[in-house]
Amino acid sequence: MDKPVPGRRHFLISTAVVAGTGLAGAIGATVRDGELGAPPRTYKGGVPWTEGQADSPPGVSGQDFKFFTPAERAFIEAAVSRLIPNDEVGPGAIEANVPFFLDRQLAGPFGRGDHYYLGGPWPKGTPEQGYQSRFSPAQLYRAAIAAIDKYTHANFNGADFAKLSDDDRDKLLKSMESGSLQLEDGVDAKTFFAMLLQNTKEGYFSDPIYGGNKDMAAWKMIGFPGAHYDYREWVTRHGEPVPFPPVSFKGRPGWNGES
Amino acid sequence: MRMLLRVVGVLIVLSLIAGAYFAWSLSHAVALPAGPVTSVAAAKILLEPIADGPNAAQLRQGQYLARLGDCLSCHLRADGEPFAGGLGLNTPFGVIYTSNISSDPDHGIGKWTPDQFYRAMHDGIGGGGQHLYPAFPYPWFRNLSRQDDDALLAYLKTTTPVAYQPPDNKLVFPMNVRAAVAVWNLLPLPPQPGKQTPQGATAEWSRGEALVLGPGHCSQCHTPRNLFGADKQGEAFQGGLLDNFVSPDLTGNERTGLGRWTVDDITEYLHTGRNARAAAGGPMGDVVTYSTSLMTDEDRHAIAVYLKSLSASTDVDVTAADPASMKRGAAVFSDACTACHLENAVGQPTLFPPLGDNAVAQQNDPTGVLHIILAGVRVGPSPTRPSPLTMPSFAWKLTDQQVADVSTYIRNSWGNRASPVTAADVAKLRSTLQLDEVRLTDNSGDH
Repeated sequence: MDKPVPGRRHFLISTAVVAGTGLAGAIGATVRDGELGAPPRTYKGGVPWTEGQADSPPGVSGQDFKFFTPAERAFIEAAVSRLIPNDEVGPGAIEANVPFFLDRQLAGPFGRGDHYYLGGPWPKGTPEQGYQSRFSPAQLYRAAIAAIDKYTHANFNGADFAKLSDDDRDKLLKSMESGSLQLEDGVDAKTFFAMLLQNTKEGYFSDPIYGGNKDMAAWKMIGFPGAHYDYREWVTRHGEPVPFPPVSFKGRPGWNGES
Repeated sequence: MRMLLRVVGVLIVLSLIAGAYFAWSLSHAVALPAGPVTSVAAAKILLEPIADGPNAAQLRQGQYLARLGDCLSCHLRADGEPFAGGLGLNTPFGVIYTSNISSDPDHGIGKWTPDQFYRAMHDGIGGGGQHLYPAFPYPWFRNLSRQDDDALLAYLKTTTPVAYQPPDNKLVFPMNVRAAVAVWNLLPLPPQPGKQTPQGATAEWSRGEALVLGPGHCSQCHTPRNLFGADKQGEAFQGGLLDNFVSPDLTGNERTGLGRWTVDDITEYLHTGRNARAAAGGPMGDVVTYSTSLMTDEDRHAIAVYLKSLSASTDVDVTAADPASMKRGAAVFSDACTACHLENAVGQPTLFPPLGDNAVAQQNDPTGVLHIILAGVRVGPSPTRPSPLTMPSFAWKLTDQQVADVSTYIRNSWGNRASPVTAADVAKLRSTLQLDEVRLTDNSGDH
């Protein structure tokens, strides 16, 4: 069978993209190693190391919301409290501070889609091809929340999504998950739901330095020791409970004499 | 007589000023050193074969002396060329930049005569007749023979000339006046080999003494300094402070010194930078890379035999640690340290040092332990162990109180015994090392 020959136009587009990426790397003085556009580096003579430097994770500080408007925050709280409700198994997404986690993620590089290729073309991809939206995650959240509230205004007597009953919210979330809910303004409900569910789980289980998983409650629920580096001494100790209390990148209460 | 009185008066005044400035400069102490990236690659020049020729024997002797004398630890800056100097040495009196000792005729020692070189090595007088600062170890190098000095100069003249002028020193008055060094030179100098040979000393012991007190200049770091930066008398090899690192006690003290080490332990450490008890990091890592790993087995063994003969320093009383601090420290240790040092701190011999019965951990001055925890440390690579294992910096992760607690815990567990550490101690060193703000690597991703 003949191999398909890439068209001339396709070739021109590809090279233009490559040239553009290289240019972004050259002019982006703040681009760090490992980030999109960072130039390759060569080391000679010895392994580079500088005293006092650390690959510290970019945690969050403060408590204020930076991305969501009050109305958007109400939507998010109403949605994530249905995705992971507070019950006898463990704390809910609200108790674990997931809305704050989402806010800070959307206000930062993830929200901007810094690690995504967001240029065209935008054909509808297969599920295996992952995220195919022209929206950055922050744009998607903003547009989807507005489109869903627009839908509930039209179908639930002018009420915001956040004002709906638990049952109504569950039904709407399920119709988003299945893709049956049709939204306006170019928002694909299924794409948004997939991202919201994924990010809610991330906020629930990720290290507390990113704002969610408050008090490591999700880790306590499942018995996960957290950012414990190494278990070599436990590899051969079968059937024994691992006694380590959960620990975050920035420690645990025991480090400060608290329990 | 009047002339003599005047001279003595000037000396006293100068000494007082020096003392005052020493105290001042301690409180304005230095940041992290901008040291070279220690690498086996740079040290290779010291192992390059010297072709047969009329003066090959002398050149080989000179090259070996350049290893014994650890020249490259100082006369090589980050991204610089071997022997071209320019490394800023943080002293309590300011920054001294090492000189260019490559064969360049204008910036190096290319035009030096053997007499000039001998004066520098023996009397601390530079090529232009100026006093050299005793950061250059002439108080130890004066113990080399004239023949050694001639050989070393002959070798240095074969090195690649580098047209590089190191920056001017940044020293506080009066130490920025080179003549002040003449005053310093009146202070007692380090001991000379062959003066205090004990009965029954072997030829190997004498060789070790000659290496340690001569080219090795070990006591420049490992002997405490007095207010004027001279050796504290009667405390030889009991440990000193350099660049906010502790150079440990080398005497037979079982807690802080080499009392528990065997001759073979010391030999292995000098050879590879590692053994079952310790790893050579900080300034000693450089010494291993550029000097001790490149010596002959016989010389390393001789050094070990000599060091093992040093009688133990007097032990000091140790205040008991606060149980609450120990408990917090144990929690930090369990989460932050056991990945490499393992539970019960047994470590991984030759990779990650065990912390029990660990001399570095138990130094009377906790600065070394705190420095390692705050800033991290790297093991000096050597030809047999070229991989520079690194302990990461914990300054971003641990608060002052947490560093104090885990240090206190390490210093008082598994058989260790040493004074507790306070959060104020940590805060002071953190500020000195300029680690109040997190210093990210180029790799740290999104911030």
